[in-house]
Amino acid sequence: MSNRFVEMGLRSPVNLTWEMTQACNLKCRHCLSSSGTAAPDELTTAEALSLVDQIHASRVFQVNIGGGEPFMRPDFEEILAACHERGIMTCISTNGTLLNKELIDRLAATRLVNIQVSIDGANRETCDAIRGTGTFDAAIKALKLLAPTTIATSMNTVLTAQNAGEIPALYDMSQSLGVSLRVSRFRPSGRGVDNWDELRPTPTQLLAFSAWLSESGDVRTGDSFFSLTTQERQGLGLNLCGAAKLTACVGPNGNVYPCAFLQSAPFKAGSLRESTFQEIWDSSEIFNSFRRLRIHSCEDCRRFDQCHGGCPAVAWHLKNEISGGDPECLERCVTTIAEQAKDAEAA
Amino acid sequence: MAAAGNKLHPACRVRSEKFGLLFYDLRGPRLLFAETGALLEPDFFSGNEPVDAFLGQLDKRDKNRVESLLVKLREKGYLSEQ
Repeated sequence: MSNRFVEMGLRSPVNLTWEMTQACNLKCRHCLSSSGTAAPDELTTAEALSLVDQIHASRVFQVNIGGGEPFMRPDFEEILAACHERGIMTCISTNGTLLNKELIDRLAATRLVNIQVSIDGANRETCDAIRGTGTFDAAIKALKLLAPTTIATSMNTVLTAQNAGEIPALYDMSQSLGVSLRVSRFRPSGRGVDNWDELRPTPTQLLAFSAWLSESGDVRTGDSFFSLTTQERQGLGLNLCGAAKLTACVGPNGNVYPCAFLQSAPFKAGSLRESTFQEIWDSSEIFNSFRRLRIHSCEDCRRFDQCHGGCPAVAWHLKNEISGGDPECLERCVTTIAEQAKDAEAA
Repeated sequence: MAAAGNKLHPACRVRSEKFGLLFYDLRGPRLLFAETGALLEPDFFSGNEPVDAFLGQLDKRDKNRVESLLVKLREKGYLSEQ
């Protein structure tokens, strides 16, 4: 039902992903943006504050802030305050290593902050193998500091082959910490390209996760436009890729893209140094092409109404096309497993 | 139907769209798409204008549409308690 309204074209995104810096004190193996060192041409404080004014004028409801590690930006709290003064909700994605009680107390002073702390395994060894030594303990420490505050807090896990078996334990951990669990899809962008074959979940793991998720009502998933539970997604009738329809992404240097997983030249919709955000949203041919995008090859699939062809970013990274359907979709997992069984039998 | 308040909950936002109004609840986050066309402006939900006075200007059909929307918004927690 809601898809109809979305396809009419919204005046601006519901939420904006803002990859505020490429600076990061970690080098996670699945990092979607290959973060580490700050880019030389990142938005200045004045430019960042101008963007806040623009998205306020465009009536964007929420900004999802990532990077890199956003707390690496010396002016991060100033930019955050500018968002809050304008009533914009902020959701900060952080590795948790730079959080301390004083900083959390300052963040808790507003009701307009959500924080998600990345943790990629229920076991220290699993998490640290993906994110780096000491990251598991740092994340747990941050979550324990956040849990008693008024800040809505979640732990975010990127599903990989290594941690797929630990998701139920991560859920239990989130419950005992008093935070929620969000599980994100691993996509082959950034450093994830280099480690795709090793980290990608198998079709069997993806199907098992899907089954578990359907029985775990309060677990959120991190699709391109929203963080929603299965029930919320069904209730809204939002079952399509939200890139350029419900969401967009601003990179560290002000380049604008349909989503965080498509931050590359072919998908650059514009630059905030050349146009306003609203001009890019209204007029970008890249954005318009995403709004027209229909995955015809998937239309006969029995699951089409549930996904509308899945994630174009995954299709792009794996098949070099955005309109060919999601190569890692659940239906294709079923097909792959059946083919593997057939091959095994033949052998 | 008795008219009640029309002030948006502090955790909620609203903006106009081609189809009408788009509501957002920061607590979810949740969205609500209201196909109101040009019937209502977001400012209506500032709570500054008395609901009864506004409804009194509408024909029966539009009045019912607005009242139904207010009931729905109230049920879903988008409006402040009076």
